[in-house]
Amino acid sequence: MAAKTTVFGEVPNRAYHERFMRKAIEMAELALASDETPVGCVFVHNDVIIGRGINGTNASLNGTRHAEFVALAEIMAKHPQSIIRETDLYVTVEPCIMCASALRQYGIRAVYFGCLNDRFGGCGGVMNIHTDNGVDRPFPAYGGIFREEAIMLLRKFYVQENNKAPEPKPKKNRELKTAILPISAPNTATAGAPAPPPTTTNTPDLPTPQG
Amino acid sequence: MDSPAFQTSRRMLALKTKEECRLGNETIQVWAVELPSKHAEGILKVIKDNVEGQDRIDLQHLRRFAKPKFLPKHILGERDRIKELHCVPRAWETSAPAVMQASCENAVWDWSTPAKARTTTRAQTLYLLICPTNVISMADLHSLLLDYTPFASSAESWAYPLVIKEVTVPLLSPTSPAQADEWSNKYWPTFYRKTNPFGAHPVSMSKAEDELQTSECNGFGVEHALELAEEVAQITKGEGLGVGTGCVIVERVEGKPEIIAVAGDARYKPLSVPAADEPHGCSPGNVMAHAAMRALGFVGRKRLRVASGQVSKAAAKAESNFANVGLAHDETARDGFFLDLPVNSFEQKYFDNDNIKPDGYLCLKLEVFLTHEPCMMCSMALVHSRVGRVIFKHRMPETGGLTAELVRNDTGPVGLGYGLCWRKELNWQFMCWEYIQQTHGESEADDTTAASTVSQYSKPPMANETIVESSFACIHV
Repeated sequence: MAAKTTVFGEVPNRAYHERFMRKAIEMAELALASDETPVGCVFVHNDVIIGRGINGTNASLNGTRHAEFVALAEIMAKHPQSIIRETDLYVTVEPCIMCASALRQYGIRAVYFGCLNDRFGGCGGVMNIHTDNGVDRPFPAYGGIFREEAIMLLRKFYVQENNKAPEPKPKKNRELKTAILPISAPNTATAGAPAPPPTTTNTPDLPTPQG
Repeated sequence: MDSPAFQTSRRMLALKTKEECRLGNETIQVWAVELPSKHAEGILKVIKDNVEGQDRIDLQHLRRFAKPKFLPKHILGERDRIKELHCVPRAWETSAPAVMQASCENAVWDWSTPAKARTTTRAQTLYLLICPTNVISMADLHSLLLDYTPFASSAESWAYPLVIKEVTVPLLSPTSPAQADEWSNKYWPTFYRKTNPFGAHPVSMSKAEDELQTSECNGFGVEHALELAEEVAQITKGEGLGVGTGCVIVERVEGKPEIIAVAGDARYKPLSVPAADEPHGCSPGNVMAHAAMRALGFVGRKRLRVASGQVSKAAAKAESNFANVGLAHDETARDGFFLDLPVNSFEQKYFDNDNIKPDGYLCLKLEVFLTHEPCMMCSMALVHSRVGRVIFKHRMPETGGLTAELVRNDTGPVGLGYGLCWRKELNWQFMCWEYIQQTHGESEADDTTAASTVSQYSKPPMANETIVESSFACIHV
């Protein structure tokens, strides 16, 4: 049974990482302005952003084209794949199980994220792909950097989407909620550990996340 | 139809889900009591009226009343032996036994006439499953029942000794008739209700198995699809592009299968900036070029090609978002990274066929055939893509994402235990099977016999069937 991991611990050198998370948030804001799912990410190598991404599923009709993959494509256009091993990822929403596995296989050095993805997060939200036993080197994941902003971006997106619906729902359903629950220990399901009981004790970070 | 000869012709074994592995053998302790059947309903009402929470745990899969002859011996226990000694006459067993009970506890039983042969005159008794033991204490239950007929200390109460037994029963519904039989013999009479709370509905599984194992449709059944996957795997490997894994995606329209995508692993196809210093052996290669990821990518590409004006427009608008956020897109580099376009003429042939139903959603309900159990990335990609059915041939115990088992049991080599095909925590589940190797005996001719009408779901492999473990050491595919 894998030990429970906490991804909301102290982030060493937080101010440094906030600088790059700010860039990821900016990507998400731009995505929101284009009616795209507001998830943004940047990959950073030696203090330099080498790849940026937003969700690409709608453009490709491919449900796997997440922001992380879009950014990786940009990186691989100019760098050898091995650069990932000295690269950190900053993403507004916790990487999903698929992305977490891909990142680990590519050898990512560390992942910093804003809010949890309690539907299919792979770094603590639902599973712990980053630290579970496996053949590839595990990676550390640090959550909670600009978490509130990451959540608000998603909420704004889903409120907007309701506006575009053919028959808009009553206004009370479209209200932008601003209260954000504090972080509670995520009830993570690891590979070996029994799945949690079907109660939702997770921090409800995301309305309908797209990882 | 259900002949042994027929059963051996199956080629698929349903993968156990995480919950089936975890919960399948969980039990719970319950109270049970034997009572004359004519009082059974009355006592059940007493329980329902007086024991709060007696139905809090769903035990619908267990008979509430069970005849003694259907109970395992350990529940009947000592009672029957005593009865055979004719020492414990009970009113429902003999008509008017002339038996007197002495007043003090250690008194002996006495009777004036020999008991009659019980086999003919015996009145029916039943065992009542009362409730889980954590709902009420034995003492409270005992004193409750003593207030009611036939246990009340009325004139005939001596005839119905109140013995409450603690019995172990299965907590959850069985997922196959075989399991129900096993539990009935081991614990308590158990129903199989043709449902499966821990996986796909048995009827859906059975229907899927019939469709997939029938070769009549265009001569394209599960074995053909896997042969095709193996073929593309070997072609791509032969070109020096991959490790020899393959994936085929099929759309079934009114029972007729259409081959939508055929992709081989191409992780070693050089990227824009090749990794010169990394020999294949110690590099994971391009993770995006795993066979399953590529095949899913082909489907998206094909969908874009056959999309209606409206869908094309929406996709083009989404594509323009990349420019809006300042992402310059090198399309050649992007395609070279994702490899969601064919890398050889074999893949191209299937890719060029505009045979997908237009404007479908992602890979909703498509069938995916894989030479190898996909890694976690690919397994989750299948979840994101909303596929319907997945069949793989070689298990990947060190990297596979679909197998749920953690300990070696009746279905073969173990894996990491993720069981990603059916996780309640995730927002999509799909049916999944392993292809099983017939190790001896059956001729191929049997394959063309009629489709199975009997689900083989949940049955462990038989003696001549083998789950195929990959010869790859520990790579992700």
